[in-house]
Amino acid sequence: MTLVAGLRAAAYGVPFQPVGGVHGSDLAALNGWQKIRDPYGSGKDVYVIPAISPDIAVIHANEVDEQGNARVLGSPFWDHPLTRAAKRVLVTAERLVSSESLAARPELTLVPGFLVEAAAVVPRGAWPGSMHPLYEVDYPAVESYLRDEPGALEAHLAAAPELQ
Amino acid sequence: MDWTPFSHIVVNLARQIRPGEIAFSGVNSTLAMLACLLAKRAYDFHFTYLNVAGGVEPVPEKIPQSSSDPALVAGSPAIFGNEDFYDLCARGRLDLVFLGCAQVDGLGRTNVSVIGDWNNPKVRLPGGGGAAVMMPTARRVVTWRTEHSPRTLVEKLDFVTAAGNLQAVVTPIAVFQKRDGRLALESRNPQVALAEVTRRTGFRFDSSGARPTAPITARERAALASLDPSGEFEAAVRA
Repeated sequence: MTLVAGLRAAAYGVPFQPVGGVHGSDLAALNGWQKIRDPYGSGKDVYVIPAISPDIAVIHANEVDEQGNARVLGSPFWDHPLTRAAKRVLVTAERLVSSESLAARPELTLVPGFLVEAAAVVPRGAWPGSMHPLYEVDYPAVESYLRDEPGALEAHLAAAPELQ
Repeated sequence: MDWTPFSHIVVNLARQIRPGEIAFSGVNSTLAMLACLLAKRAYDFHFTYLNVAGGVEPVPEKIPQSSSDPALVAGSPAIFGNEDFYDLCARGRLDLVFLGCAQVDGLGRTNVSVIGDWNNPKVRLPGGGGAAVMMPTARRVVTWRTEHSPRTLVEKLDFVTAAGNLQAVVTPIAVFQKRDGRLALESRNPQVALAEVTRRTGFRFDSSGARPTAPITARERAALASLDPSGEFEAAVRA
């Protein structure tokens, strides 16, 4: 959540973002996070997290059109602050759709195309992770690439389900 | 019927939920997810169940292995995603948050960051996933450990990831509740003697008033069986 506070600061165009909590955590000293007194007199001390602006954000979407408008179904997790905080946004998507179909339900578009630098159509691009509602986590694939043995990662990369 | 490590944790986590509350389970928290789903099936009172997948009062068709699986959105009338539930917590509206830990100390602080020194770790842990923000701002936090030992329930944490409103710790053999700022033994698995709880706990604790954990009820047992018909979750805790 402190990470998201940093992303929000960048998205809001301010140098830092107040965040609830953090009191009593060693993470504050470790990361050099500062605590400031509420300037409006509540007497509360609030941690402020410096802005984090990623050079590039890459998100995987369900649908994208030729202008880069990207629709994400299901929970967006951190896609919204991430795509607003990053300097450049790249999209991969399960399939290419018409702009008309996105315009029919504009509230489902998570990133408008004017924020997107490039997009690629990559079916099964979230594998071995899940993509709601199309496919679930592939647990055997996760377990095999985590195996501490020569060639495990190479074999995982070579599987390339998006090409099948 | 005897408690198992699995049933003692899940049922006693479920018993922390109070009528009318908003309760939340996060990532890598399968036992807490099962506890929330068990409470829905075994108890008559209403509470609101939110989870890290964005589910609001979900009615999952199947019980996923992962507590962040999109299956935990099935049946939800809304998606209340990461930004929403963290903000809800920060503004003091999450009544009960289940947060995992690697270590917990007698003051009810947790470590999810590192075993050993930060700069020269024995084990680098995955991090709090928002615990540092949620533990001071949630009304109550409950944690659990499948391993009840002096290296998990410690007098001194290797690192303080989160501190604040931790109220209870549930293990296969004990339930601790915070009393006067320290964790005190509330109940113990009746199959285990108090001396064994003391021997396996790294922090000192008050055991006055501790009693055997109340037996599992028929409804709790039935709900647990319906959530784990093949026994795979139970087997994972045993392992």
